[in-house]
Amino acid sequence: MPLWWPLLVASLLFAIGVYGVLSRRNAVLVLMGVELMLNAVNINFVAFDAQLRDVLHAGQTFALFTIVIAAAEVGLALAIVLLVFRTHGHIEVDELRELADRDESDLGRLDHPTAGVES
Amino acid sequence: MNGVLLAALLVPYVTAAVTLFAGHRSEVATKGIAVGGSALGLALAWVVAFAQLGDAAPLAHVFTSSRTVGPPIQLATYVDPLSAVMMVLATTVAFLVQVYSLGYLADDPRYPSYAALVSLFTGAMLTVVTADDLWMLLVGWELMGACSYFLIAHHWELADARAGAVKAFLITRTADLGLLFAIFVLGDRFDTYRISTIMRAITEAALPRDGLWLPAVLVAVAVIGKSAQVPFHTWLPDAMPGPTPISALIHAATMVAAGVFLVARTYPLFLSSPSALTLLGLVAAVTMFLAAVYAMVTHDLKRLLAWSTVSQLAYMFGALAVGAWSAAILHLLAHGAFKALLFLAAGSVVHAVGGATSMDVMGGLRDKIPDTFVTMTLGFGALAGVAPLAGFFSKDAIIHAAWEEAVHGRLVWPWVAWLLVASMVATAALTVAYSLRAWLLVFFGAGPEDVHDSPATMRVPLVVLAVPTALGGLAVTVPWILGGDRGEHLFHWSTSVLMTLLVIVTATVVLVLYNRRGREMWSAVVVPHPPIDWVWDRFLVRPVRRLALVVRAGDRDVIDAYADGAAATARGAGGLLRRTQTGSVQGYLMVVVVGAAAIAVAAGLLA
Repeated sequence: MPLWWPLLVASLLFAIGVYGVLSRRNAVLVLMGVELMLNAVNINFVAFDAQLRDVLHAGQTFALFTIVIAAAEVGLALAIVLLVFRTHGHIEVDELRELADRDESDLGRLDHPTAGVES
Repeated sequence: MNGVLLAALLVPYVTAAVTLFAGHRSEVATKGIAVGGSALGLALAWVVAFAQLGDAAPLAHVFTSSRTVGPPIQLATYVDPLSAVMMVLATTVAFLVQVYSLGYLADDPRYPSYAALVSLFTGAMLTVVTADDLWMLLVGWELMGACSYFLIAHHWELADARAGAVKAFLITRTADLGLLFAIFVLGDRFDTYRISTIMRAITEAALPRDGLWLPAVLVAVAVIGKSAQVPFHTWLPDAMPGPTPISALIHAATMVAAGVFLVARTYPLFLSSPSALTLLGLVAAVTMFLAAVYAMVTHDLKRLLAWSTVSQLAYMFGALAVGAWSAAILHLLAHGAFKALLFLAAGSVVHAVGGATSMDVMGGLRDKIPDTFVTMTLGFGALAGVAPLAGFFSKDAIIHAAWEEAVHGRLVWPWVAWLLVASMVATAALTVAYSLRAWLLVFFGAGPEDVHDSPATMRVPLVVLAVPTALGGLAVTVPWILGGDRGEHLFHWSTSVLMTLLVIVTATVVLVLYNRRGREMWSAVVVPHPPIDWVWDRFLVRPVRRLALVVRAGDRDVIDAYADGAAATARGAGGLLRRTQTGSVQGYLMVVVVGAAAIAVAAGLLA
């Protein structure tokens, strides 16, 4: 199998993931985009491992490594999403702008930790 | 003996530090340390001094020496009879002032710092009189200026005291520049800063007349400022808001006496340059008369005494200008005794009438404070030159020396000597008049009823000082204590008889005026503000202020502009950057992706 087949699949997968992260408003869908990007990388790892006939199979090892890390990451991210939903009542990513640099007139609100939570 | 001298030098400084440290923790301890320290300093100074009187070889020692390029700066001491008598004078007056202050400042909240500064002042004066290195002398000299500043401003809640302190400090500091530059010139010329070496070199080198006029005139400027002579004379009367014992210390034993001492110490320098002596003589002639006139018309007891100090210091400079070295030192010692007595007695009088210093509220105090009356009478008598008190002998010796110089003219131009003689005789008459006036106004006539006598700690120093005031004149019979036979005869029957006649005539006139007109003996014109202050203000103070304004503008509009500009630039750039902080995570990611893509494309194109 030529190397460019899996590379093409990985590129498409990564591009879809980037598109999902950048354009989706729902935080869960953004996370799914991140997962797609991670798996595109995994395909690259495995493809090059087979192509280069690595005796230590470092590519496959790293693919497994990435899967484990990704599982942990998704667990953490979903917990955050859950908390965001509890505090804000929604998980629209483009609505979550409390960390923006504010005008000086807004600086006083930073003294209150609950600022921006009212809705 | 050098160890004892070092101890005598260090004791006042240590006392000052310990007094400050003890502070308010224990009132008894602070007072004990202050008085005990000055007593110890007194004892040590007397031990050193009495061995050095007469023809003993001067005690010279170099404790340590700097290792730098150029002539070494040394911690060197030199005690000859002149230093010895000055040490005795300074420590004695300082000790009496400390004892007196126990009573005078009994309830003063700032007593610890006061006592510490008095000790420091004494230490500075001892440093000056024993220093054999010009830089060491300068250190003591400047330290005295700083101490006088702090002590005059002791009552710093009074605007007068603050202004007087600043004035004293600024005027003496301005004049001190003369001493600084004199040190530069002398060090450059003789390649050493040791005073004894320089003076020996000047004596032995047979320099051309006025070959060293520059350092001599510079030293003269410094001593004119320190000793409050024209045109630097206004700071001393304005220093009167300070506590009265401080006035005694400044006027009798330390600050102003240091000026006379410095001329006496560097006398070979002055003898080699008659132009500096002429300058001193002219300044003295003008000062003594002017100050006496001011003393005639002032209504403030302390200002009267201050003007009399200026006038009497001018006598000493006049004597030095005509070569009467021993007479000048004798008058310095006599003046130290009777002026300390007069100021301490004035403090007692002020204490008795409840703090006022104007003679208008005094009068009839003869019976109410008898000890002060007797001792102050002796002091005024000595000031006026009444035989046989201390001031009589020394003043007559000076006047006779000036007369001799005028007739035989060796050092200065005869007309300067004649001017000095005329000024001295006129001033002597004025001195009798204002002394008698003050004496009559304070102790006779009607006065306040509510009078309380001073405590014993204030009366005992008066009695102690009355002894040298009364008997100190006998020192003219033993001029050898100042060392060597200078061929000066200090006592002359003709001058003494003439001066006594002058005293009697002037006193009679004043008494007649007093009987006829009462307390307003002569028209009490308001004392004109010394016009010299106007000159200083116009030509020194205001230009300096204007210069300061220019410097401030340069600082604000040029240097600050760069600093502020840098800050504004950073702030503006930051303002641009904060626009990007929208809070939209996807926006940030978009920037990252586009940036990464751009870098990849650029890398591909370049590779």
